[in-house]
Amino acid sequence: MSDFNVRSDSVNVEQIMEQIRARIREKRGVDYTEQEVRELAAVKLEKFLDPRGVRSDLLEQFRKKESAETSQPLPNYEFTDQTLYETHRAPIRWIRQLLNPLLKLFFNPNPLIQALHIQSQLNTMTVERDAARRGLVQLQYEVLHNLVLETTRLGIEVKNLKMRVESMTGRLEFNERRARALESVVVYKSPDERERGGGGRAPHPEPAMPRPEPPPPRSEAPAQPAAPVAETSEGPGQRSRRRRRRRGRRGGGLASTIMGGPQAPATSAPEADAVREAVGGHDTAAESIEREMAADSMSGPETDDPGPGEE
Amino acid sequence: MKLAVVVQRYGPAINGGAELHARYVAEHLARHAEVEVLTTCATDYVSWHNELSANVETINGVSVRRFRVRHERDTTDFGRRSDHVFKLPHSVADELAWLDSEGPASPSLVRFINRNATRYDYLFFFSYRYYHAYHGARAAPSRAVLVPTAERDDAIGLSIFPAIFRGVRAIMYNSPEERAMIEAIAANQQVPSVVVGIGSEVPANPQPGRFRQKFNIRGPFAVYVGRIDENKGCRELFEAFLEYVRCESTRLSLVLIGNSMLPIPEHPRIRHLGFLDDGDKFDAIAGSELLVMPSYFESLSMVALEAWALGRPVLANARCDVLKGQSIRSNAGLYYETRAEFVETLKALEANRWLSVALGRNGRQFFREHYDWPVIERKYLDMMARLAKEPAGPGIEPLPGWLARRRRDRPAAREVVAALAAGPVVRSEAPRAVDTTQSQAPTRPAPPQAQRRSGGERDHGDRRRRGWQARPQARRQRPGGA
Repeated sequence: MSDFNVRSDSVNVEQIMEQIRARIREKRGVDYTEQEVRELAAVKLEKFLDPRGVRSDLLEQFRKKESAETSQPLPNYEFTDQTLYETHRAPIRWIRQLLNPLLKLFFNPNPLIQALHIQSQLNTMTVERDAARRGLVQLQYEVLHNLVLETTRLGIEVKNLKMRVESMTGRLEFNERRARALESVVVYKSPDERERGGGGRAPHPEPAMPRPEPPPPRSEAPAQPAAPVAETSEGPGQRSRRRRRRRGRRGGGLASTIMGGPQAPATSAPEADAVREAVGGHDTAAESIEREMAADSMSGPETDDPGPGEE
Repeated sequence: MKLAVVVQRYGPAINGGAELHARYVAEHLARHAEVEVLTTCATDYVSWHNELSANVETINGVSVRRFRVRHERDTTDFGRRSDHVFKLPHSVADELAWLDSEGPASPSLVRFINRNATRYDYLFFFSYRYYHAYHGARAAPSRAVLVPTAERDDAIGLSIFPAIFRGVRAIMYNSPEERAMIEAIAANQQVPSVVVGIGSEVPANPQPGRFRQKFNIRGPFAVYVGRIDENKGCRELFEAFLEYVRCESTRLSLVLIGNSMLPIPEHPRIRHLGFLDDGDKFDAIAGSELLVMPSYFESLSMVALEAWALGRPVLANARCDVLKGQSIRSNAGLYYETRAEFVETLKALEANRWLSVALGRNGRQFFREHYDWPVIERKYLDMMARLAKEPAGPGIEPLPGWLARRRRDRPAAREVVAALAAGPVVRSEAPRAVDTTQSQAPTRPAPPQAQRRSGGERDHGDRRRRGWQARPQARRQRPGGA
């Protein structure tokens, strides 16, 4: 994080907070709160659905309606074989039972009683099913509501992630170009040259020459006299660069070939690796690197950089 | 001079905010006057169960007289009554029933005050919202000095309290925000008052190394001290901190000190150490990079003051007016309203060492000027000296008659609170004619009047960024402890 502009002992907290908020706005654009996400969700609902028919506060309206409905229980009746003759007056009940055989002379009340009984049971079942359906519908509405909210949230998140990916892509491209620029100025020297030159800087970048003798296996490379010197003279950054370079070029021919050297020796890639190990301290021309980096950064992210094969 | 400190619970093992505040004040005033504490036999702030015997004992050189609580709190009844008076129009009788239900209902304590008030020069009542303070202040209004420890919760919107705020002899506020809120609700500007707060016994030489070794803490860390609870904003803190951890090149860990009521995320950079004694707590704060205070409601954060006393910056929840106001006035803390702000402020404090140091230095200065014990004691003594010179006011207005008390004409408390202006008091207040002690510790040139931002005065962008989660409308039936 970069420093703040406030650089005095008299810190002003409000000023710092303003700067922090400005930075957040720069980074993320608009920062949506939970409430705003809900508002956005409501707006989206109105967009997608008919605003005259569906309200944005769908769930709330539904619940209100639901509670109004459920507050009034649906009417139903119990119908048994005695319902027709029921009364709270005992004498009348007795008379009705007494006259029941006479009534049956005129018509058969049993099918009527049975039908009404079945209807009563059907009513009860319908009420139960309706209650279950209401519960299900409420769940569906909740799911729908949550889906709309989550979709909105995801939409915003995707937007943010896209911006982040774009930013990271830019940085990655820049880093790649910088790495290539660094690679293009690395100079390889044979041990003989190193001994002759006393480890001094080469005036021009020269391609690495293959050793006259076949190189030993890689595991033996540290045993060679030059290797410890090279390892001690290298920093971790140089080593990691070398490793990266080696990874990038494995299977792509020798370093000297890739670096565009005049000779393209017929040594194999492991041999070339061994050569690099043996050579150890590749001499970096710091000034050249700086110049290259400066040129690279000045060229900007839009500049087309030639690939390693084209250099 | 003989003083009484009247508080709902009292004891060395009781660590509630208002109760600790009362104990500290009693022990420090005992150096200047004869102090007696009048309290209940309860130790549990939820049930008010009578655990201690009703007698007189001495704690740290202060005489403590205990009275029995008539009935324990029925949480269901209290919840139902709270819902009623906070959310619906109601009557004064409903509010009085709510107060009785909240407790600690100790008529014997009130009777004692009524009969023996003349034995004391002044009675300091702590926590306006409890039975003992309401009825105790009514029993001896001419000697009652109220330490409200009020927060912006629903209880402050009840109609029985403004009469108390207007009728007591003096009020000792914890913060300018608390004063502004109570004055807005009770129009009691004529009552002698002073913003005092509370000091803290901070060790001169904390040992952060000892803390790191004892708890195997490595690397820089932010510390949270307090109950780990949703009402304290800890859930938001966890979410925000996990977002911070996901950012590249961040190094701070979060160390949590206190009993947990919430599941704590399993993360290698979040450490929960449980409840620690004061020594470890101060070592932890001294070893931290900053203190995080995610609470929504505070009348005064003692732990924030302790962090400042130890030269550590504070990162506070901006939705707590008191914490935000203190951060701005002291220039010793940053604040956040959203996760993004939390992450950025934390990164800013982590990356800019000079900022952290400057804020810590300001905090130490702020503590010394306003919250050091000599300053606090002087404010109390000055207030009493002033009250001795001035005549007492008309007292507390009587309650309405039997019928008027049962008329349902009181608005829902929540509506009353929502209508109050919100926001921190951003500048030091001008010394009032009645407030002589305020002039003793000004940090900056004071404007003619306190500048308090009302909720409606916030700029649009500020409102847009207000909180990634809706601010809780009210603390859930806050059962006790300020």
